[in-house]
Amino acid sequence: MSLSWSLTEVAAHLLRQEEREVVLGDLSEAQESPWRGLLNVLGLVTRRQLLLWKSWRPWLSGFGLALPCSFLLMGASIGVSQAYQHLGLPGTFNQQPLFLCEVLLLALWSWSGGFVVGRLSRSTLWISVLLCFSPCLFCLARFRIPSLSRASLFLFLLPAAVGVFQSMRGVQIRLKAAFALAVSITALMVYMGSRNRLGFLNWSLLWPVWYIVATTRHPSEEPE
Amino acid sequence: MLGEFEYVLITTAAALGEQAYGAAIREEIARTTGRRCSLGALYTTIDRLETKGLLKTWMGDATPQRGGRAKRMIRVTAKGVQAAKDFYDAVTRVSRGASWVVNRKGRSSV
Repeated sequence: MSLSWSLTEVAAHLLRQEEREVVLGDLSEAQESPWRGLLNVLGLVTRRQLLLWKSWRPWLSGFGLALPCSFLLMGASIGVSQAYQHLGLPGTFNQQPLFLCEVLLLALWSWSGGFVVGRLSRSTLWISVLLCFSPCLFCLARFRIPSLSRASLFLFLLPAAVGVFQSMRGVQIRLKAAFALAVSITALMVYMGSRNRLGFLNWSLLWPVWYIVATTRHPSEEPE
Repeated sequence: MLGEFEYVLITTAAALGEQAYGAAIREEIARTTGRRCSLGALYTTIDRLETKGLLKTWMGDATPQRGGRAKRMIRVTAKGVQAAKDFYDAVTRVSRGASWVVNRKGRSSV
Protein backbone atom coordinates (compact mmCIF):
# COMPACT_ATOMS: atom_id res chain seq x y z
CA MET A 1 0.00 0.00 0.00
CA SER A 2 1.49 3.36 -1.03
CA LEU A 3 1.95 6.34 1.23
CA SER A 4 -0.49 8.41 -0.77
CA TRP A 5 -3.22 5.77 -0.50
CA SER A 6 -2.60 5.54 3.25
CA LEU A 7 -2.95 9.33 3.45
CA THR A 8 -6.17 9.09 1.45
CA GLU A 9 -7.54 6.56 3.92
CA VAL A 10 -6.53 8.77 6.85
CA ALA A 11 -8.16 11.81 5.23
CA ALA A 12 -11.29 9.75 4.59
CA HIS A 13 -11.70 9.37 8.35
CA LEU A 14 -12.89 12.97 8.33
CA LEU A 15 -16.01 11.69 6.55
CA ARG A 16 -18.90 9.78 8.12
CA GLN A 17 -18.24 6.04 8.19
CA GLU A 18 -20.88 5.21 5.58
CA GLU A 19 -19.64 7.88 3.20
CA ARG A 20 -16.02 6.90 3.80
CA GLU A 21 -16.73 3.38 2.57
CA VAL A 22 -18.52 4.65 -0.51
CA VAL A 23 -15.81 7.17 -1.41
CA LEU A 24 -12.90 4.77 -0.94
CA GLY A 25 -14.80 2.17 -2.93
CA ASP A 26 -15.39 4.63 -5.76
CA LEU A 27 -11.70 5.55 -5.82
CA SER A 28 -10.67 1.87 -5.89
CA GLU A 29 -13.10 1.10 -8.68
CA ALA A 30 -12.08 4.10 -10.76
CA GLN A 31 -8.41 3.16 -10.26
CA GLU A 32 -7.76 6.79 -9.61
CA SER A 33 -4.14 7.74 -8.94
CA PRO A 34 -3.60 7.88 -5.17
CA TRP A 35 -2.69 11.57 -5.12
CA ARG A 36 -5.75 12.46 -7.17
CA GLY A 37 -7.78 10.31 -4.81
CA LEU A 38 -6.39 12.23 -1.86
CA LEU A 39 -7.31 15.53 -3.50
CA ASN A 40 -10.81 14.22 -4.16
CA VAL A 41 -11.29 13.18 -0.55
CA LEU A 42 -9.93 16.48 0.79
CA GLY A 43 -12.17 18.35 -1.65
CA LEU A 44 -15.22 16.48 -0.39
CA VAL A 45 -14.28 17.06 3.25
CA THR A 46 -13.79 20.77 2.57
CA ARG A 47 -17.12 21.07 0.79
CA ARG A 48 -18.88 19.22 3.61
CA GLN A 49 -17.36 21.58 6.20
CA LEU A 50 -18.18 24.69 4.17
CA LEU A 51 -21.78 23.56 3.69
CA LEU A 52 -22.19 23.35 7.46
CA TRP A 53 -21.54 27.07 7.68
CA LYS A 54 -24.62 27.86 5.61
CA SER A 55 -26.54 27.39 8.84
CA TRP A 56 -26.61 29.96 11.64
CA ARG A 57 -25.79 27.37 14.28
CA PRO A 58 -22.01 27.05 13.87
CA TRP A 59 -21.73 30.86 13.69
CA LEU A 60 -23.62 31.25 16.94
CA SER A 61 -21.72 28.40 18.56
CA GLY A 62 -18.28 29.64 17.53
CA PHE A 63 -18.50 33.42 17.36
CA GLY A 64 -21.49 34.03 19.60
CA LEU A 65 -20.55 31.69 22.40
CA ALA A 66 -17.14 29.96 22.37
CA LEU A 67 -15.03 33.00 21.48
CA PRO A 68 -16.57 35.76 23.64
CA CYS A 69 -17.48 33.52 26.56
CA SER A 70 -13.97 32.15 26.91
CA PHE A 71 -12.77 35.74 27.58
CA LEU A 72 -15.48 36.28 30.19
CA LEU A 73 -15.00 32.88 31.81
CA MET A 74 -11.26 33.43 32.07
CA GLY A 75 -12.04 36.69 33.88
CA ALA A 76 -14.42 34.84 36.18
CA SER A 77 -11.79 32.13 36.78
CA ILE A 78 -9.27 34.74 37.87
CA GLY A 79 -11.93 36.34 40.08
CA VAL A 80 -12.54 33.02 41.81
CA SER A 81 -8.81 32.40 42.25
CA GLN A 82 -8.28 35.84 43.79
CA ALA A 83 -11.30 35.41 46.06
CA TYR A 84 -9.86 32.08 47.18
CA GLN A 85 -6.55 33.75 48.04
CA HIS A 86 -8.32 36.37 50.14
CA LEU A 87 -10.38 33.82 52.04
CA GLY A 88 -7.62 33.13 54.52
CA LEU A 89 -7.15 36.79 55.44
CA PRO A 90 -8.47 38.02 58.80
CA GLY A 91 -12.01 39.46 58.75
CA THR A 92 -13.07 37.67 55.59
CA PHE A 93 -15.19 34.97 57.22
CA ASN A 94 -18.39 36.58 55.94
CA GLN A 95 -17.00 36.39 52.38
CA GLN A 96 -17.31 32.63 52.27
CA PRO A 97 -20.93 32.51 50.97
CA LEU A 98 -20.01 34.97 48.24
CA PHE A 99 -17.03 32.86 47.30
CA LEU A 100 -19.18 29.75 47.09
CA CYS A 101 -21.64 31.63 44.88
CA GLU A 102 -18.79 32.70 42.61
CA VAL A 103 -17.52 29.14 42.32
CA LEU A 104 -21.00 27.83 41.66
CA LEU A 105 -21.71 30.48 39.06
CA LEU A 106 -18.42 29.81 37.28
CA ALA A 107 -19.16 26.10 37.16
CA LEU A 108 -22.75 26.59 35.93
CA TRP A 109 -21.88 29.24 33.35
CA SER A 110 -19.09 27.04 32.00
CA TRP A 111 -21.17 23.88 31.96
CA SER A 112 -24.16 25.53 30.28
CA GLY A 113 -21.92 27.25 27.73
CA GLY A 114 -20.18 23.98 26.87
CA PHE A 115 -23.49 22.14 26.69
CA VAL A 116 -24.95 24.69 24.27
CA VAL A 117 -21.79 24.69 22.10
CA GLY A 118 -22.13 20.92 21.71
CA ARG A 119 -25.86 21.11 21.12
CA LEU A 120 -25.68 23.90 18.54
CA SER A 121 -23.25 22.31 16.17
CA ARG A 122 -21.56 18.97 16.70
CA SER A 123 -19.95 18.83 13.29
CA THR A 124 -18.14 22.14 13.73
CA LEU A 125 -17.21 21.54 17.34
CA TRP A 126 -13.50 21.57 16.51
CA ILE A 127 -13.82 25.14 15.19
CA SER A 128 -15.65 26.19 18.36
CA VAL A 129 -12.90 24.58 20.44
CA LEU A 130 -10.24 26.46 18.46
CA LEU A 131 -12.17 29.70 18.92
CA CYS A 132 -12.38 29.01 22.65
CA PHE A 133 -8.67 28.27 22.95
CA SER A 134 -7.38 31.19 20.90
CA PRO A 135 -8.25 33.81 23.60
CA CYS A 136 -6.83 31.40 26.18
CA LEU A 137 -3.45 31.38 24.44
CA PHE A 138 -3.64 35.16 24.00
CA CYS A 139 -4.27 35.70 27.72
CA LEU A 140 -1.76 33.05 28.74
CA ALA A 141 0.98 34.91 26.87
CA ARG A 142 0.05 38.17 28.63
CA PHE A 143 -0.62 36.81 32.10
CA ARG A 144 1.00 39.16 34.64
CA ILE A 145 -0.41 38.36 38.09
CA PRO A 146 2.55 37.17 40.17
CA SER A 147 0.45 35.89 43.06
CA LEU A 148 -1.61 33.58 40.84
CA SER A 149 -0.70 30.51 38.85
CA ARG A 150 -1.37 30.61 35.12
CA ALA A 151 -3.61 27.60 35.59
CA SER A 152 -6.06 29.89 37.38
CA LEU A 153 -7.08 31.21 33.95
CA PHE A 154 -8.50 27.84 33.03
CA LEU A 155 -10.74 26.91 35.94
CA PHE A 156 -13.69 27.10 33.59
CA LEU A 157 -12.38 24.49 31.18
CA LEU A 158 -13.28 21.36 33.14
CA PRO A 159 -17.00 22.12 33.65
CA ALA A 160 -17.20 23.42 30.06
CA ALA A 161 -15.64 20.18 28.77
CA VAL A 162 -18.12 18.15 30.84
CA GLY A 163 -20.96 20.18 29.28
CA VAL A 164 -19.67 19.57 25.76
CA PHE A 165 -19.15 15.88 26.46
CA GLN A 166 -22.66 15.41 27.85
CA SER A 167 -24.16 17.29 24.98
CA MET A 168 -22.25 15.19 22.44
CA ARG A 169 -23.45 12.03 24.15
CA GLY A 170 -27.01 13.24 23.65
CA VAL A 171 -27.81 13.73 27.33
CA GLN A 172 -31.35 15.07 27.58
CA ILE A 173 -32.38 17.53 30.28
CA ARG A 174 -35.95 17.62 31.46
CA LEU A 175 -37.72 20.92 31.05
CA LYS A 176 -38.31 21.30 34.78
CA ALA A 177 -34.64 20.68 35.54
CA ALA A 178 -33.51 23.11 32.84
CA PHE A 179 -35.93 25.74 34.11
CA ALA A 180 -34.80 25.25 37.73
CA LEU A 181 -31.17 25.56 36.61
CA ALA A 182 -31.86 28.76 34.67
CA VAL A 183 -33.77 30.32 37.56
CA SER A 184 -31.00 29.34 39.98
CA ILE A 185 -28.27 30.89 37.82
CA THR A 186 -30.36 34.03 37.34
CA ALA A 187 -31.02 34.31 41.09
CA LEU A 188 -27.32 33.80 41.86
CA MET A 189 -26.41 36.49 39.36
CA VAL A 190 -28.95 38.91 40.82
CA TYR A 191 -27.54 38.22 44.28
CA MET A 192 -23.94 38.72 43.13
CA GLY A 193 -24.96 41.83 41.22
CA SER A 194 -26.56 43.28 44.35
CA ARG A 195 -23.20 42.79 46.13
CA ASN A 196 -21.31 44.49 43.26
CA ARG A 197 -19.51 41.22 42.52
CA LEU A 198 -20.74 40.79 38.96
CA GLY A 199 -19.38 42.55 35.89
CA PHE A 200 -21.90 44.03 33.47
CA LEU A 201 -20.67 41.86 30.59
CA ASN A 202 -21.07 38.71 32.64
CA TRP A 203 -24.85 39.03 32.20
CA SER A 204 -24.26 37.77 28.67
CA LEU A 205 -23.25 34.41 30.17
CA LEU A 206 -26.88 33.92 31.11
CA TRP A 207 -28.23 33.21 27.64
CA PRO A 208 -26.88 29.67 27.18
CA VAL A 209 -28.88 28.31 30.10
CA TRP A 210 -32.06 30.02 28.89
CA TYR A 211 -31.31 28.67 25.42
CA ILE A 212 -31.29 25.20 26.99
CA VAL A 213 -34.72 25.96 28.50
CA ALA A 214 -36.06 27.27 25.20
CA THR A 215 -34.85 24.26 23.21
CA THR A 216 -35.71 21.55 25.71
CA ARG A 217 -38.81 19.65 24.76
CA HIS A 218 -41.70 19.39 27.13
CA PRO A 219 -42.22 15.72 28.09
CA SER A 220 -45.60 15.70 26.30
CA GLU A 221 -43.85 16.73 23.04
CA GLU A 222 -41.22 13.98 23.15
CA PRO A 223 -41.73 11.12 20.72
CA GLU A 224 -42.90 7.84 22.26
CA MET B 1 -35.02 25.22 -11.80
CA LEU B 2 -32.10 22.80 -11.81
CA GLY B 3 -28.52 23.89 -12.25
CA GLU B 4 -26.47 22.63 -15.17
CA PHE B 5 -24.55 20.03 -13.18
CA GLU B 6 -27.70 18.91 -11.39
CA TYR B 7 -29.32 18.29 -14.78
CA VAL B 8 -26.28 16.38 -16.05
CA LEU B 9 -26.26 14.24 -12.90
CA ILE B 10 -29.97 13.43 -12.99
CA THR B 11 -29.88 12.63 -16.70
CA THR B 12 -26.84 10.40 -16.30
CA ALA B 13 -28.36 8.60 -13.31
CA ALA B 14 -31.60 8.08 -15.23
CA ALA B 15 -29.67 6.69 -18.22
CA LEU B 16 -27.72 4.26 -16.03
CA GLY B 17 -30.94 3.01 -14.43
CA GLU B 18 -30.30 0.17 -11.99
CA GLN B 19 -26.55 0.64 -12.34
CA ALA B 20 -26.50 4.24 -11.16
CA TYR B 21 -24.00 4.80 -8.35
CA GLY B 22 -21.15 7.23 -7.66
CA ALA B 23 -18.26 5.72 -9.63
CA ALA B 24 -20.46 4.76 -12.61
CA ILE B 25 -22.00 8.23 -12.78
CA ARG B 26 -18.58 9.91 -12.60
CA GLU B 27 -17.28 7.73 -15.39
CA GLU B 28 -20.31 8.34 -17.57
CA ILE B 29 -20.17 12.10 -17.04
CA ALA B 30 -16.46 12.11 -17.94
CA ARG B 31 -17.20 10.04 -21.06
CA THR B 32 -20.14 12.11 -22.31
CA THR B 33 -19.02 15.62 -21.38
CA GLY B 34 -15.26 15.18 -21.54
CA ARG B 35 -14.96 16.71 -18.06
CA ARG B 36 -14.04 14.89 -14.89
CA CYS B 37 -16.16 15.77 -11.93
CA SER B 38 -14.74 15.64 -8.42
CA LEU B 39 -16.15 13.41 -5.73
CA GLY B 40 -16.88 16.54 -3.71
CA ALA B 41 -19.04 18.04 -6.47
CA LEU B 42 -20.74 14.70 -7.09
CA TYR B 43 -21.69 13.78 -3.55
CA THR B 44 -22.65 17.25 -2.34
CA THR B 45 -24.89 17.59 -5.40
CA ILE B 46 -26.40 14.16 -4.80
CA ASP B 47 -27.15 15.14 -1.20
CA ARG B 48 -28.76 18.41 -2.29
CA LEU B 49 -30.92 16.67 -4.89
CA GLU B 50 -31.92 14.01 -2.39
CA THR B 51 -32.93 16.71 0.10
CA LYS B 52 -35.10 18.25 -2.60
CA GLY B 53 -36.66 14.84 -3.23
CA LEU B 54 -35.31 14.58 -6.78
CA LEU B 55 -33.14 11.53 -6.07
CA LYS B 56 -33.32 8.60 -3.72
CA THR B 57 -30.17 6.87 -2.51
CA TRP B 58 -29.44 3.72 -0.54
CA MET B 59 -26.47 1.57 0.29
CA GLY B 60 -25.87 -1.18 -2.24
CA ASP B 61 -23.73 -4.30 -2.32
CA ALA B 62 -19.99 -4.42 -1.89
CA THR B 63 -17.92 -5.84 -4.74
CA PRO B 64 -14.35 -7.19 -4.83
CA GLN B 65 -13.59 -4.66 -7.56
CA ARG B 66 -14.19 -1.95 -4.94
CA GLY B 67 -12.08 -3.59 -2.26
CA GLY B 68 -15.19 -5.01 -0.62
CA ARG B 69 -16.71 -1.60 -0.07
CA ALA B 70 -20.37 -0.73 -0.52
CA LYS B 71 -21.85 1.43 -3.29
CA ARG B 72 -24.27 4.28 -2.82
CA MET B 73 -27.00 3.46 -5.30
CA ILE B 74 -29.05 6.25 -6.83
CA ARG B 75 -32.51 6.37 -8.37
CA VAL B 76 -34.18 9.38 -9.94
CA THR B 77 -37.63 10.02 -8.46
CA ALA B 78 -40.71 11.08 -10.46
CA LYS B 79 -40.15 14.61 -9.16
CA GLY B 80 -36.56 14.42 -10.41
CA VAL B 81 -37.71 13.31 -13.85
CA GLN B 82 -40.13 16.24 -13.98
CA ALA B 83 -37.44 18.71 -12.89
CA ALA B 84 -35.05 17.42 -15.57
CA LYS B 85 -37.81 17.63 -18.19
CA ASP B 86 -38.60 21.21 -17.16
CA PHE B 87 -34.93 22.12 -17.41
CA TYR B 88 -34.62 20.53 -20.85
CA ASP B 89 -37.78 22.28 -22.08
CA ALA B 90 -36.52 25.62 -20.79
CA VAL B 91 -33.12 25.18 -22.47
CA THR B 92 -34.80 24.10 -25.70
CA ARG B 93 -37.15 27.13 -25.64
CA VAL B 94 -34.44 29.61 -24.84
CA SER B 95 -32.19 28.17 -27.54
CA ARG B 96 -34.69 28.67 -30.38
CA GLY B 97 -33.23 31.07 -32.88
CA ALA B 98 -29.72 30.87 -31.45
CA SER B 99 -27.20 30.94 -34.27
CA TRP B 100 -25.55 27.68 -33.27
CA VAL B 101 -28.91 25.91 -33.20
CA VAL B 102 -30.00 27.35 -36.55
CA ASN B 103 -26.65 26.53 -38.14
CA ARG B 104 -26.76 23.00 -36.78
CA LYS B 105 -30.24 22.52 -38.27
CA GLY B 106 -28.98 23.89 -41.53
CA ARG B 107 -26.03 21.54 -41.55
CA SER B 108 -28.10 18.51 -40.63
CA SER B 109 -30.57 19.20 -43.44
CA VAL B 110 -27.81 19.26 -46.07
